[in-house]
Amino acid sequence: MKLESESIAVQKRIRHKKITMIFILAVLTAAAAVLCLFTGSSGMSVRDGMDALAHRGSPVNIRILWNIRVPRIMAALTAGAGLSVSGLIMQAVLNNPMASPATLGVSNAAVFGANLSIIAFAGGFLSTGHNVSNYTAGVDPYASSLIAFLFSILSVLIVVELCRVRSFSPNVVVLAGIAMGSVWNAGTTILQFYATDVGLSAAVIWTFGDLGRATYRTDWIMLAAAALGIVYFQRMSWRYNALQSGDAAAMSMGINVELLRGISMLLASLITAVCVSFLGIIGFIGIICPHSVKKLMGQDFRFSTPASALAGSLLLLLADTLSRSMGGGSALPVGAITTLLGAPFFIIIIFSERKGSCGC
Amino acid sequence: MLRVDGLCYQYSPRTTPVLSDISLKLPEGKIGILLGRNGAGKSTLFKCLLGINKTHRGTACLDGRDLLHMNAAQRSRLIAYVPQEIQFGDMSVFDSVLMGRISHFGFHAGKRDYEVVSRILEEMHLSELSGRSVRTLSGGERQKTAIARALAQEPRMLIFDEPTGSLDITGGQLILEEAAKLSRQKGISILCSLHDLNQAMAFGDFFYFLKDGTIRCQGGRELFRQDVIRDVFDAKVRIIEYHNEKIILQGGRRNKE
Repeated sequence: MKLESESIAVQKRIRHKKITMIFILAVLTAAAAVLCLFTGSSGMSVRDGMDALAHRGSPVNIRILWNIRVPRIMAALTAGAGLSVSGLIMQAVLNNPMASPATLGVSNAAVFGANLSIIAFAGGFLSTGHNVSNYTAGVDPYASSLIAFLFSILSVLIVVELCRVRSFSPNVVVLAGIAMGSVWNAGTTILQFYATDVGLSAAVIWTFGDLGRATYRTDWIMLAAAALGIVYFQRMSWRYNALQSGDAAAMSMGINVELLRGISMLLASLITAVCVSFLGIIGFIGIICPHSVKKLMGQDFRFSTPASALAGSLLLLLADTLSRSMGGGSALPVGAITTLLGAPFFIIIIFSERKGSCGC
Repeated sequence: MLRVDGLCYQYSPRTTPVLSDISLKLPEGKIGILLGRNGAGKSTLFKCLLGINKTHRGTACLDGRDLLHMNAAQRSRLIAYVPQEIQFGDMSVFDSVLMGRISHFGFHAGKRDYEVVSRILEEMHLSELSGRSVRTLSGGERQKTAIARALAQEPRMLIFDEPTGSLDITGGQLILEEAAKLSRQKGISILCSLHDLNQAMAFGDFFYFLKDGTIRCQGGRELFRQDVIRDVFDAKVRIIEYHNEKIILQGGRRNKE
């Protein structure tokens, strides 16, 4: 009886340690959000910022805070969390540490859709204008995002259908994703070949990840997708843990592996499609954050899911602040900043010693 | 009791069957050993019983319940599996064993699940390792953890695919003794595949000799005869008796030069 309580007590200690780490991450993310709220090129003081937050003081400050900074921070929190958790889950269900939220060709499809919208329709539905204003604003500012999203979902559905014909085994999924991604890339290349200089530059600029495009409307849509996914992923955390023992062992533990894999991939791809369509490509978040979290506190998905979400939000907030402060007035593409952070991280992972790191 | 009748399996209608007309019986609480060469169909038979390979030709019942027509969660409460290549995520021993309770607790482990796991760890002398990462364990400890995880499912039958394959002689012996003890104590049937015929004779109660996807013969220790082994394994062996125990030696009788 004594031993029984001892092993349960050890478990409780490990759990408390991990919960504490998640709490620290949450505090850091909240602090970063506050920091970002009061940092910017407008030179607004913290006091002015506080006033603007309470809808007092200068109307310009209120507009900057509520119309620019708050939506941007919400986008960083939501997209960071969503992309990071999507990466974690794709790696889990495909049993591949290099899997990312875009493994099913979602990003390539979004880029193709946006290119089609910008180059063929000049940024908006049925607009055939060839002047700069049409390319930059378009008839409908959401047109590119909408078409990008539709193509992302189309790509996911094609990959899922292809897998239904064969199986949802990790190799089939990854290869089908690579094939579809290549098709979209080829389409984008052909579109860009026929584009005018202005159209080509507008299309390329679209692919740069930029949180400045976020509005409250896009934030709520991203939040809905990310929340749906994260709630499902958290609920299935024990099943993802079991999946790490191999498909056969997981099935013998009573898990419908193909169904779990299919739904998880769909949700992860949906989150990615929404984020990429609204913000452009933000690379590596879905790889850097899950791997860092797993190194720090182990693979247990009960804890690595919320921790990855928080780490993703934190990294995107910091990368966005860095991109705004490095750009000298205009923000550098946040996708490039996260990628620049990602490359050294990969080298560290490749060369670091692999040990049991379950955070026990 | 496990009862399999006329079970067949083929990967696709165009390929030759991997299992043909498999029929076998294993009484409750007994240890059955599948013997045969690599590719004879041992692992495929296990996967059919576990619902990993789907087949509707033939029947397989455990304690009267149809194994081929139940969902994964129901089946996991009847049969647990210890695969040949054991994998774990980067988790503690306790959590790795607790994973075996998924079909019982659904989404969140409760007090009873913790107690069951704690008891199993104590019975298998793994309590001291409960907080360790599974990745830091030795081969034998990992094997024991996998058995503990299977027991956490509270099954009526355990399936072991080559449990001693990756272990040294001592480790393999300990695992088999542990499994036999648990089978006796809990009345759980064990269906197991082994390559070592001497180990099989010492460990099993019933033996099923498989060749090319069919059961050539089944029964007790009396089946360990030169002709049976030559037929099933295409190998020459010598069988000697020592203190009324059979010992199988590899290779035929040496020719005196």
